[in-house]
Formats: sequence, structure tokens, C-alpha cells
Amino acid sequence: MSLLDAKGVSMRFGGVTALRDVDVRQEANETLGMIGPNGSGKTTFVNAMTGHLKTAQGKILFDGVPILGRRPFAIASAGLTRTYQAVRVFGQLTGHENIAAALVDATRPLDPTGVAETIAWLNLDGRLGAPAGGLTLFEQRKLELLMRLVQRPKLLMLDEPVGGLSSHEVRAMIALLAELKARCTVFLIEHTMKVIRELADRVVVLLAGEKIADGPPRDILADKRVVENYLGSHDA
Amino acid sequence: MRPYITRWWPHVLFALAAFGTPLLLSGNRYFAFIAGITLISVLWSTGMNLLYGYTGLMPMMFGGIAGVSAYATIGLVAIGWSFWPAMLVGSLGASLIGVILGLPSLRLRGFYFTLCSLVIQTVITLGFVYFVNLTNGDTGISQIPLPEIPGGGRLSGLSYDLVLAALAVFGVILLTLIVNAPFGRRLIAIREDDGLAETLGINVTRQKLFAFFIGSMFASIGGALYAPYLGFISPRSFDVLVSLNIWLMVAFGGRGTIWGPAIGAVLLAPIPFLLQDYYTIKDVVYGLLIIGVIVLLPAGIAGGVRRAPRPAQAATLKPERAR
Repeated sequence: MSLLDAKGVSMRFGGVTALRDVDVRQEANETLGMIGPNGSGKTTFVNAMTGHLKTAQGKILFDGVPILGRRPFAIASAGLTRTYQAVRVFGQLTGHENIAAALVDATRPLDPTGVAETIAWLNLDGRLGAPAGGLTLFEQRKLELLMRLVQRPKLLMLDEPVGGLSSHEVRAMIALLAELKARCTVFLIEHTMKVIRELADRVVVLLAGEKIADGPPRDILADKRVVENYLGSHDA
Repeated sequence: MRPYITRWWPHVLFALAAFGTPLLLSGNRYFAFIAGITLISVLWSTGMNLLYGYTGLMPMMFGGIAGVSAYATIGLVAIGWSFWPAMLVGSLGASLIGVILGLPSLRLRGFYFTLCSLVIQTVITLGFVYFVNLTNGDTGISQIPLPEIPGGGRLSGLSYDLVLAALAVFGVILLTLIVNAPFGRRLIAIREDDGLAETLGINVTRQKLFAFFIGSMFASIGGALYAPYLGFISPRSFDVLVSLNIWLMVAFGGRGTIWGPAIGAVLLAPIPFLLQDYYTIKDVVYGLLIIGVIVLLPAGIAGGVRRAPRPAQAATLKPERAR
């Protein structure tokens, strides 16, 4: 049984079809990357998986349980959680208060030792006493990860985790994400091919809401359709 | 890793002041009455604080909910109920209505919910005016008897003040317990970003409706006790200006702090009474106070002391040692 099994997922916004019959399967402990040009439906796909789109069509099984139509908090409680393209933390609250908010309704909360270990792993020691809005973007991205990890999710969907980071920070984040794979199953939306090449075991390519390729990064990067439609363009 | 530190000595001080003031003022019924109204205001502003300060919703129908409870309680007393069970039923009923009236908050955020609640408040006030057989319309209900006490007789002025003191103290303690409980953390997360709160597994719908129930309970109990205390209610007693006044106490004292709204109530509630002889400048003084606080202490009196330095702190963050 796959961890995530989405079949025929479609989403229309008025006359615009954002997703058309997209099939995506992801096994536990497999890192799945999703790439595609701007507006190809990557974030819409994550929104549909995590309950943010009420009118999405299709069939989504997470851990064998249908989740389409369930509310975001219920999907999060089932172990499928996500981050946002634009970093999102409780800026007025301290880092510790942010963590407390993540723990309050966690179904499988990490124990305090585990939390401390995760804080140390992310190198956030001593940075969590002040309002999170005052942290650097990189630190806020790491706090975002921390807030998900204390919930011990089964599947973590990351929406462009290196967006807005400096090249130095991108390298540091890639190193963290490589280690993150040992902690939970990761689904990754990325623009940056470097990130996908280094992290993903398998890649799904979206184009205008349709899946045009699905396979190991090496094959995808050689795929003629992908190269013509995406990699050859300035987007990649 | 409890994020908030609870100190109970302020509660003890507040309880001493709340019970002591009516006792000290018992020689002068007028001043004792102002103290009693202030205590009701503390209860109301504390309930408004739960919604506005901690959940991030500004319910402008707060006064209306208090009114529903007051009219329901007095109506039940009029048909022969004893005051206390009438208050219980009236408050519970009004709180449930508060939950229903809070439903728009599930769809509307911030300013839009405030506008919607303003309309709801107007409709409630119109309801009080037009359902004459229930509310006696604009004429209002006068000569409301004081609550009776078990074993015969009626509550004296002083003992009524002490009941109000007990409820104000209980209200503040309840808010403190809520803020320190998981429920309080959920509400704060919803206030800061309800979408993110939902993604973190918090059932935002349920928590908002809980908050409305408890916040409305504060409004309702205050409303039910307000009616016999004044002996007179009319639609004016629970109109939009009352809601606005309670909101002002919260904003003035410091939203999202335990003590700010109580301080706001203590400072603002007596003003209309104390300035009664200076009718012409009353509103001017009120207005100047508001402007002063907004300009000098945007986070309120308590917030100004506690919250204002935060952004600066964040900029010059010093690494701290292990927790």
C-alpha cells in the first residue's frame, strides 16, 4: 500500500482547469519531487492533498484512508502536513510559543527530549526565546520545519523550501533536507533543479495542470518533453 | 515548555480590592453603586478580551448578547421564576445565541466580521424595541426587584456588590486558567493566523465556537446581574455604544493581557458617573483619553509596558543558553 495514492485529481477555478486527472503515488520513505513551470498546478496539488480545496475532484488515499473532502486539521491529525511557499510562522509569538502551538493538538507529539534534539539539529538553540518574526528567513524556514517535525508527520509536503534563501543558505537547507529524509517521508515542490537532483528519488512533472512525466530524476532530466517545455525555458 | 508564566498574587490583590471597595464605600450608596457597575464592566471586558484579545475577533454584538440574557432573566422572573435559576437559564440561552451569532466568524476575518457583528447588534437592538410584549419596547422595564436569597428576603445593596465582586474575580481567574490551558494556546494560534493553526491540526471552527460560548457567558451573566442592579433596562442599556464601550476598555487597557482589560474597565467605567456634573466636557475627556492611549500606547496600558519593546528586542537578539 502506498503512503499517498492520489488518482484522477482535478481542480477547476471557474473556467481555468488548474489540475486535470493527475495521478500521483508516493511510497513511505520515498522522496518525491514535483516540478513544473509557474502556474502548472504544483501548489494547487498540495492544497488539494491537505484539504485546502473543498471542490477538488478525484480520489485520494493517505495511509489507506480516503482524505478528499476532510478538513485540513483532520488531515494534519492523520499525519499529512505541509509548509507554505511564503514562509508562515506566528510572527508575534516566540519560537517556543510557536512550538507549543504545534504541539497542542498533535496526535503523535514528539517527547521533550526529541524536541530538544530536533532544535539542536536545526541549530535553533537560543533563537526561540524572541518573537519568530524577528528571525531571519532561513531561521523561519527552519522553525517551520521544526513545527512540523514535533508532530511526527508521516508525510511532510514542502512547498519550495529554499525559496528566497541566499545561495549559501540554499546549500545549508539542502543538507538539512537530505538528513530530514531519515526523519519522515518528504514530498517536495521545487523550481531549483539542483535541489530536485540532489534530494528526490522520483520526480513528477506538471505542465498546465497535467502530469507529463513521472520517474527518477536522471530520466526526467533527459525527457524530451520536459526539456522542451520546462527545462529549456527560463523558468528552470 | 509552558509558554506563559502564571503568577497568582495579582489575583489576590484584585480580589482584596474587589471585595474591599464596596465594603469601604458602603457608607455612600452612590459610590458603592459606581464600584458595582465597574465590577460588572470588569466581567464584561474580561469576556470581550477572550474574544478580541485572545481569539482576534471583535464582536460588536457583545452588548446585545448581554441584553438578550437580561431580558430573558427578567422575563422569567416576571412569570414567577426565582432570580438565580432564571439567570442560569437566561445566560445559557443567551450564550447559545452568542454561539449562533458567532457563526459568521468562521467565514469572515478581522474587519469584515466586525462589520457583520455591528449589523447583528443593530438587529438585536431593533428586536428589543419592536418585541414590545417581551421587552416593553423603548419604555423599558423599570422597578426590577433585587434578587431574592434562599431562605427568604432579598439581596441588600452591599451583598449584591459582593456577589458582583465574586463574579469579577472568578471571571479573571477563569480567563487566566483558559490562557494557560491548551484551549488558550489554540485561541492565540487562531488569533495570529487561523489558516496556519488549522494546518497544525487545530480544529479552528470548534475552538472559535467554544470561545464564543464562553465569551458570551461573560456577557450574559453580566447582563443578567446588571438588570436588577440598576432596576431599569431599556434597549439603550444594551445598544452598540455599550458594545463599543466594552471594546474600548479592552483596547485601552491592553488586549490580549489578563489585567489590561480589567484596568481599562476600572479606569473607564466610572468616568460617566464621576463626570455627571460636568456633562458638557464628559465626552471630551473620554475622547482625549482614547486619543492619548492610541497615540502613546497603541497596545493599551498593560500592553505598552509589556509588548512594545518586543520588535526592538527581536532586532538585537542575543543568543541565550540552553533552556
